[in-house]
Amino acid sequence: MSELLRVEHLKKYFANQKAVDDISFSVSEGEIFGLLGPNGAGKTTLIRMITGIFYPDSGSITFQGKPFDPIHDVRHIGYMPEERGLYKKMKIGEHALYLAQLKGLSRTDALHQVKQWFERLEMQSWWNKKVEDLSKGMSQKLQFVSTVLHEPKLIILDEPFSGLDPVNSNLIKDEIHRLAKNGSTILFSTHRMEQVEEICEKIILVNKGEKILDGTVGAIKQQFKQNHFRIGIPAPTEELLRHAPFDLIRTSEQQQIVQIREGKSTNDVLRYLLDQSIPIHSFEELLPSLNEIFIRLVGDTPAARQFQNA
Amino acid sequence: MYKTFIIIQREYLTRVRKKTFIISTLLFPLLYFGLIFGMGYLAENSKQVLNIALIDESGYFKQTELDQENAIDPSSKVSLVSSKATDVLRDPEAAGFDGFIRMPALDWQKGNDSIFLESKKSYGSGTTSAVQAKLNRIWNRIKNDSLSIDESKQAILQMSQLSIRPKNMEDASANANLAEVIGYIAGLLIYFILLIYGSQVMMGVMEEKTNRIAEVLVSSVRPFQMMMGKIIGIGAVALTQFLLWIGFVFLIYNVTKASGNNMSAASEIVGTMQEVITGINMPLILFCFGFYFLGGFFFYASLYAAIGSAVNEDLREAQSLSFPVTMLVIISIALMTTAIANPTGPIAVWGSLIPFSSPIVMMARIPYGVPGTVPWWQLGLSMLLLILGFLGTVWFAAKIYRTGILMYGKKPSWGEMLKWVFRKS
Repeated sequence: MSELLRVEHLKKYFANQKAVDDISFSVSEGEIFGLLGPNGAGKTTLIRMITGIFYPDSGSITFQGKPFDPIHDVRHIGYMPEERGLYKKMKIGEHALYLAQLKGLSRTDALHQVKQWFERLEMQSWWNKKVEDLSKGMSQKLQFVSTVLHEPKLIILDEPFSGLDPVNSNLIKDEIHRLAKNGSTILFSTHRMEQVEEICEKIILVNKGEKILDGTVGAIKQQFKQNHFRIGIPAPTEELLRHAPFDLIRTSEQQQIVQIREGKSTNDVLRYLLDQSIPIHSFEELLPSLNEIFIRLVGDTPAARQFQNA
Repeated sequence: MYKTFIIIQREYLTRVRKKTFIISTLLFPLLYFGLIFGMGYLAENSKQVLNIALIDESGYFKQTELDQENAIDPSSKVSLVSSKATDVLRDPEAAGFDGFIRMPALDWQKGNDSIFLESKKSYGSGTTSAVQAKLNRIWNRIKNDSLSIDESKQAILQMSQLSIRPKNMEDASANANLAEVIGYIAGLLIYFILLIYGSQVMMGVMEEKTNRIAEVLVSSVRPFQMMMGKIIGIGAVALTQFLLWIGFVFLIYNVTKASGNNMSAASEIVGTMQEVITGINMPLILFCFGFYFLGGFFFYASLYAAIGSAVNEDLREAQSLSFPVTMLVIISIALMTTAIANPTGPIAVWGSLIPFSSPIVMMARIPYGVPGTVPWWQLGLSMLLLILGFLGTVWFAAKIYRTGILMYGKKPSWGEMLKWVFRKS
């Protein structure tokens, strides 16, 4: 896979804060890339530089192998900001056409694309409705269509699921996967870690303007695993635990969460339990969630507390 | 360019298609003419005849002469009262009069300046002077008779006058009275356009912020294109409305002219317009109007756009921030009034050169004559300064706009906005 976007040592300081402080990463073509971090971590500022809205103070952005040129490259980027809205008094069809034309599409091309997308998402009957008559979910759908209908190479979605019901969420999720399969690259920004685990292949985690982690979701989980396992056995006795190769972390009637001791393997655990003639119903490794990893990395800061409650 | 054009198109079409635009375009001239004719009609039909009792102690006035004068000016009826004089003095209204004049004994060579029209209600000086004129005409005849001036001599005395009117040496067509009227109309029109359409630009930008569509747009087009698209689009709406009004007036003009010369109020307007069109340099005035209209609009609309981008949905915030700008427009109107009274005075000259007031003040001066009242160099300098002025405000506004449009939260002060302008990009 060739590289679509490379960001190197990007910095953007505002008067009283370092919004983005030396962040580097790269996104390959066709990838679904997650940009993670709590509110105020600098995600939106970072995206605004990638979309050409802000100029970086220093650092470089490379798009399709060339230095990023906002005037021409915006044609190949579709951005759905977190603060997104529509003109209330406009008709839906005209609105979609307008946004497509602002991306540089001719009127005929725009019309063709809008019609195609409206058909796929079953929106044809909305054409002459006014935006103010749409429900929140419907207008989110329209925003999503407006973001992608000029067939951008890079689609940037900032908190795309906020305010969406599960039905529409799944619809958008399916579209994201479909677009990625057809070769679009998706940069997906959110503070909801659990969404990223489902959708993204690679992530970068930012906090207070700095990158604290990046890699594939699987590798990161392996890197931060703590040898936690869920074992389907009855609650163990004191006697059993005294010589066991693991420590009990949480217990319930049928399932025990344990941490395997240093130097011991899963087979040691199983062998020990078999030797004690304890019936095993299940045995499963517990990988940490991105949420837990994030909290472990940033410690007990206000940013982390936000996620402990989630 | 293509994107700016798309924005202009949207801004223009959404406004022109609105019912309020069509209604206000049709209604404004109707209201305007309705007001003029309605006032004339009311004045014609609400005249009341003032009934005045004249208690004549001089013995000069006769009822036959008063009757003649009452017939000439029916707005008041002056009647001699002798027998009921005490009743009238006590209570004129009970005696059937609105008021009375007690004429003392008079000397025809001296006259008298302490005669009163006494009444229970108050009457304005206009009413009093009409009655005064009526009695003075009789009084003049009495004086003429005493001096043995016959009617032919009287005619000479009345008709022979010296009349002095202003005439500009360099511009023979200059007509001061007409210039005053045209100056007022042109200045006021620009004033209304600046305020009404300037605030439309501000509201339009605020709408984009409150709708949260600003960031969606800014990822496709430059903030500068967004701002200019909005300003030009709304400017085109103003121009359209204005051209439609001119169209209406010419339509009415031609229709009434074609319908023959009846003595209606409309044909009076036709007469006035004919005088206007032939009496002044119409092409120059129209060209200058177009120029100052556009220049002034760009100058102020960009400032209003900057304010709209800086505030949030709160209209009061916008009002307090736009107050200084609105004040500039209002000061221009004050300067215009002075400039019309004295079109070559220092206030008029400076006011028509400085860009913030030149669209209004210069438009009020131009009808007095170019190059008579306004030398060519002043017109040229004023136009140049206005172009530089609006380029300056557009630049200034663009800097505020691109920061403000993505800023939510506290309303910035003018000081903070200046910081946005002068920090490096």
